[in-house]
Amino acid sequence: MKALILVGGFGTRLRPLTLSVPKPLVEFANKPMILHQIEALKAIGVTEVVLAINYQPEVMLNFLKEFETKLGIKITCSQETEPLGTAGPLALARDNLVDDSGEPFFVLNSDVISEYPLQEMIDFHKSHGGEASILVTKVDEPSKYGVVVMEESTGQVERFVEKPKVFVGNKINAGIYLLNPSVLDQIELRPTSIEKEVFPNIAAEKKLYAMVLPGFWMDIGQPRDYITGLRLYLDSLKKKSSPKLAFGPHIIGNVLVDESAKIGEGCLIGPDVAIGSGCIVESGVRLSRCTIMRGVRVKKHACISSSIIGWHSTVGQWARVENMTILGEDVHVCDEIYSNGGVVLPHKEIKSSILNPEIVM
Amino acid sequence: MGTSEERVVAVIMVGGPTKGTRFRPLSLNIPKPLFPLAGQPMVHHPISACKTIPNLAQIYLVGFYEEREFALYVSSISNELRVPVRYLREDKPHGSAGGLYNFRDLIMEDNPSHIVLLNCDVCCSFPLPGMLEAHRRYGGMGTILVIKVSPESANQFGELVADPVTNELLHYTEKPETFVSDRINCGAYIFTPDIFTAIQGVSSQRKDRATLRRLSSFEALQPPNRSPPSDFVRLDQDILSPLAGKKQLYVYETMDFWEQIKTPGMSLKCSALYLAQFRFTSPHLLASSDGRKNATICGDVYIHPSAKVHPTAKIGPNVSISANARIGAGVRLISCIILDDVEIKENAVVIHAIVGWKSSIGRWSRVQAAGDYNAKLGVTILGESVTVEDEVVVINSIILPNKTLNVSVQEEIIL
Repeated sequence: MKALILVGGFGTRLRPLTLSVPKPLVEFANKPMILHQIEALKAIGVTEVVLAINYQPEVMLNFLKEFETKLGIKITCSQETEPLGTAGPLALARDNLVDDSGEPFFVLNSDVISEYPLQEMIDFHKSHGGEASILVTKVDEPSKYGVVVMEESTGQVERFVEKPKVFVGNKINAGIYLLNPSVLDQIELRPTSIEKEVFPNIAAEKKLYAMVLPGFWMDIGQPRDYITGLRLYLDSLKKKSSPKLAFGPHIIGNVLVDESAKIGEGCLIGPDVAIGSGCIVESGVRLSRCTIMRGVRVKKHACISSSIIGWHSTVGQWARVENMTILGEDVHVCDEIYSNGGVVLPHKEIKSSILNPEIVM
Repeated sequence: MGTSEERVVAVIMVGGPTKGTRFRPLSLNIPKPLFPLAGQPMVHHPISACKTIPNLAQIYLVGFYEEREFALYVSSISNELRVPVRYLREDKPHGSAGGLYNFRDLIMEDNPSHIVLLNCDVCCSFPLPGMLEAHRRYGGMGTILVIKVSPESANQFGELVADPVTNELLHYTEKPETFVSDRINCGAYIFTPDIFTAIQGVSSQRKDRATLRRLSSFEALQPPNRSPPSDFVRLDQDILSPLAGKKQLYVYETMDFWEQIKTPGMSLKCSALYLAQFRFTSPHLLASSDGRKNATICGDVYIHPSAKVHPTAKIGPNVSISANARIGAGVRLISCIILDDVEIKENAVVIHAIVGWKSSIGRWSRVQAAGDYNAKLGVTILGESVTVEDEVVVINSIILPNKTLNVSVQEEIIL
């Protein structure tokens, strides 16, 4: 079985992190974002994954070589020479996606983190016999997204409404699709939107069905949602009693700590924290609702909450970093500094406090 | 041995990538020394100035960038100016004088009688022939280019006191808290090869002190050695300051313009200064409106030969347009740098801005800023491949590469 992951472009909403690394390789819960999806696909028997990219293919290709052998799944890149939208890349990768088996193929958006009920989706797709299945998820504020209006009992999709002004439904497109090869016949090799052009046509033919995603869903393409997403993800690990979660007297709630990270005495870590490989958290540190990327050193008595600390950065003694502070790669916050929502580009030293949310270039 | 035997080697310090973050966001896409001012890469201006020195044997660019970043430029400029230009990469920081010392063998290969040392991020008329002549008259080890500035701004720089008759450097202090002098160090020097002896002297002195620290137990109890390693020698504090008043160093004053190019805003100001200079040194580089076939040109404007400008556009003053840019009908450009492959559509207006490579400015859109070269958001900067859609207004903002603006923004940094 095959799959396509729409990786797309520059990941500008996740800057400054994506100034150092292409977005799919930015770690989420201590694992590159795209690896979460590739692993889920491998688990249900997908043998080949195509990454539709248009940015930094060399970096992606190096990463892929490493994981192809580790995971035992074939990974190829399909590079757009011009942006092809959300459907065009499927046409571009046609030869990799369809073979003689006639099996449907998965399409995933790279920014989406969820429980990936892919087997259930395969069963659902078989049972309704339509041309395409999409996962939808329930949200509180549907007007921010594209709402999928569907028949409740069968899941048959009636129509899509982009950012509706009045309430038409609370299920939105979760960005995970299972498509029959015949769908590719309807997609031309040009910039095409799958939500605006392809799916409405299939829905009109009554061949598009939606399955409601059980469990969490998050588009982690921007820092605020990344932090919320981590909470949801760790929560789902907890529900499955995952051994990966850390425990101990210094841990509160759900916390992930890489085995190579070191944590000092008298710390209080959690809830909703991920600490990456090679990190050093010195004594007396308080961490909550944050992600500490690979190679970071958090010095004594520091306090970090609701923030993301980029690779190889340092946070000084008694520093307080909070309220959506995002530190890029190799950023050094000096001792006793306060950062309230500072967004700091890579290779900077913060020598004076940031009192209000501000971008530091 | 007459003056025709006296060869000169020039060294231009170009800096490195992680050191200066002040030139972001432009430095995210290009090494600062290669960013164009008045249509030529920043480093081209000191290089051209060096070319006016008789018997120039070699130009070295010294910095921390990867060699490949300068490979193309160095080979093309060597061919164009018919003088060997070579990029040398420092493996670790040696300080402003230590860097020069680090490459002394290469520099002395041509057996130069004089060494010109320039900083790349200085915008200046570089009056090198006159300075060299004065240096020969003074007979000292070094001559420093100085300029008079306002007393209030002097303390951002190195301040010098010189004898008004002999021009000998009497006193030098770097960024003093109290007023010392309104003459400041321009970052351009001419030395005789004795400079290497002086730098070595500082190095050895440091080594001896370090050895003493190890041998003397009292010294060993002192707090960790905070002075730099022995091969780290700063020109200002370690050479100029101590040698002032010893009849070794002299000053040469320039009455022309001088600025430091630390921020993108300043690059726009310096581009204007160089364009104004072209009017005297290379007027053929400036555009002029001749007849109805060409666009209307006001003031100093540079347009690359491959750029296309619609005849109904009005360009200038202080505009540089780089290769393959396309300026549409009815466009108005004032005080801006338009980089390669930019497309500016009909009737758009750009004032006090830098428009990054491959960007696209929509019809009737307006990209502008107040034009305060020193303010953080005083000049609007669009990074590489930014799209400003039709009729959108962008004021006093910085937009990082690969963004599309479909709503107007003001006073914002968009990552």
